[in-house]
Amino acid sequence: MKQTGLGIILYGILVIPPVKAYIESIMLLHMLVQLPLLILAGWFIGDMLIKKFHPFFTAWNTDGVPGMILVVFITMYWMLPRALDEAVSIYYIELFKFISLPFVGLFLRDSWKKMQTLGKSFIFLNYLSMFALMAWLYIDSPIQICNNYLETQQKVLGWGFLVITIWMILYLLQAVFTDHSEKAE
Amino acid sequence: MVTTINKGEFKSRNNLIATYLIIGGLVIAAMMVFGILMLLAQGGVLDLPPAAFYQFLTIHGTGMIGGAALAASAVMWYFLSNYVELSKKVFKLNLILSLIGVVMVIIGVFSFKYASAWTFLYPLPALSGGAWGVTGALLYLVGMLILGVGFLLLYIDTGRAIIKKHGSLGKGLGWDVISGKRAEKDAPSPTVVASTMVTIVNVSALTTGATVLIMNIINVVNPAFTFDPLLAKNLTYAFGHIFANSIIYMGVIAVYEILPRYTNRPWKSNRPFLIAWTMSTAFTLVIYTHHMLMDSVMPKWMLIMGQVLSYANGLPVLVITAYGALMIVYKSGVKWDMASGLIFLSMFGWVVGVVPAIVDATIVVNHVMHNTKWVPGHFHMYMGLGAVVMIFGFIYYLSKVDSSLQTNGLDKVGFISYTLGIISVSVGFLISGALSTPRRWATHFPEWMAPAVFGAIGGVLAVVGLTIFIIHFIRYVKVRGTAGSDLNEQKLA
Repeated sequence: MKQTGLGIILYGILVIPPVKAYIESIMLLHMLVQLPLLILAGWFIGDMLIKKFHPFFTAWNTDGVPGMILVVFITMYWMLPRALDEAVSIYYIELFKFISLPFVGLFLRDSWKKMQTLGKSFIFLNYLSMFALMAWLYIDSPIQICNNYLETQQKVLGWGFLVITIWMILYLLQAVFTDHSEKAE
Repeated sequence: MVTTINKGEFKSRNNLIATYLIIGGLVIAAMMVFGILMLLAQGGVLDLPPAAFYQFLTIHGTGMIGGAALAASAVMWYFLSNYVELSKKVFKLNLILSLIGVVMVIIGVFSFKYASAWTFLYPLPALSGGAWGVTGALLYLVGMLILGVGFLLLYIDTGRAIIKKHGSLGKGLGWDVISGKRAEKDAPSPTVVASTMVTIVNVSALTTGATVLIMNIINVVNPAFTFDPLLAKNLTYAFGHIFANSIIYMGVIAVYEILPRYTNRPWKSNRPFLIAWTMSTAFTLVIYTHHMLMDSVMPKWMLIMGQVLSYANGLPVLVITAYGALMIVYKSGVKWDMASGLIFLSMFGWVVGVVPAIVDATIVVNHVMHNTKWVPGHFHMYMGLGAVVMIFGFIYYLSKVDSSLQTNGLDKVGFISYTLGIISVSVGFLISGALSTPRRWATHFPEWMAPAVFGAIGGVLAVVGLTIFIIHFIRYVKVRGTAGSDLNEQKLA
């Protein structure tokens, strides 16, 4: 329950108008801070919801795959430059953002532990290549992609994606080259 | 080597392996026909419109690598499953996704005239000058992406299984043996070492490939999104080179497994062997720059690295494997038949096929030779007489251990016909290269035509040989399992 409280507080902070306005004024903060924090809030709130609606999650998300498909589709949508732009300009897209991303956290929490190593590895590598592509797209684009953000902000965001990609590669390398013999036995 | 799985599982596993091999074999045969048609067109014998030539070029390159990779992955899976616990479900899924991908690629190329060659070099998919449209490009690129997803799942599974059994991919490569922490006698088998290498390089290649494919898809859908072409070329060749190169590293597992059974001598993973495979793992990932030696805007250090590491990459594993093969066969009383003969031939093809590549990886030579038919001369020899022959050797081996089917004189004719055919194709290309004939050109000057026609005749011989191999394999599929596979496998050794 502690986590649920934490999630609600985090969500509450993120919807405070000045906080929201400040974060959304900088593209990097919007994409790589606000969006992940909304997912994190959903993850925390999921602690209580998953327990409370256990039969529902067991019936509809038995092996974690349906939940993960939702996670992938929603996050892919929010990686599109246009989605970010419209969230700033159109109120119902903003509303969708504040509803859909906590759901991502909720489903991620329920699905990740249920999924097998193969599925988790595939999802990880999928995001690795997507983040690399996003880094490339935002750094390299010769035009201003969003109405609300300048080209320089795009490039900063691209470098942010690149840093995440490099961290993911380093994590992957340590995961496959450190010894898991004890776990295997 | 006796398998640890029961007979029911053995039969079901072999069914799946046979399906992979039949599809791989038929795709390779069909692609050879397209190759012959292209050579005939270049030789002035066949009146093929240039647009059709480039469609054939696209399907030939993509199909050859796809078909050979599919069959080689079956070789790897067959032997690796004796050492680690692999998922048959994933193996099946790879086949299904590969078929979906192949169908999309075929429709893209033939129904929508997509013809960028396998390289899909940015921004060509979006800039065809009206030769093809968005649909064709998307079918090809998405088809390739689906093919890649299948293979990625397969290699995630092999990596998972190797880590589960050996602790880490480093241990799969025998690093603890190299560092002296573990005795040589406890080293992972050559099959595990080679599979670990292939897993590492191909997961890297396929992830890179996914990035550049999606980038191309974005550009095709909305050309306003542009990307750095040099980075795109780097990523494309990092993907293409590694994935194509891995075929021989999967195929060589057949050499490590089959020759010891014929000679009754074990193929051990000693320290030099493990060091050579670790070197190949690292270098295979970075030497793709030898495809870019003519790109003057590339950083100079990368090009020098491309030359130096190209020498360092292939040679250690090649020398250690070729020397190992000679030593294991020398005075062993080996019984020469189709399987052992083809496996031994593949070593010859690998050794000889590498020579033109090393010549071309030298910067000063590359500036003159790279855009000539010298390069196809290298990879037809290397793939046609090396990698693919390892797969055919495995096909004959499988039919021997899993059925009572006997080979006959026709198979020997196939062996000779195929060998002479591929040598002729390769020599034809190499001579064309020496004559400065450009590669990937639909139309040739009369002075360039003779070697192309010679190559086409060689191609026909190769197709005859391959057809005989496939007939033998289809005969095996009909009678497989008749001799009790486990027992037969023991008898061989």
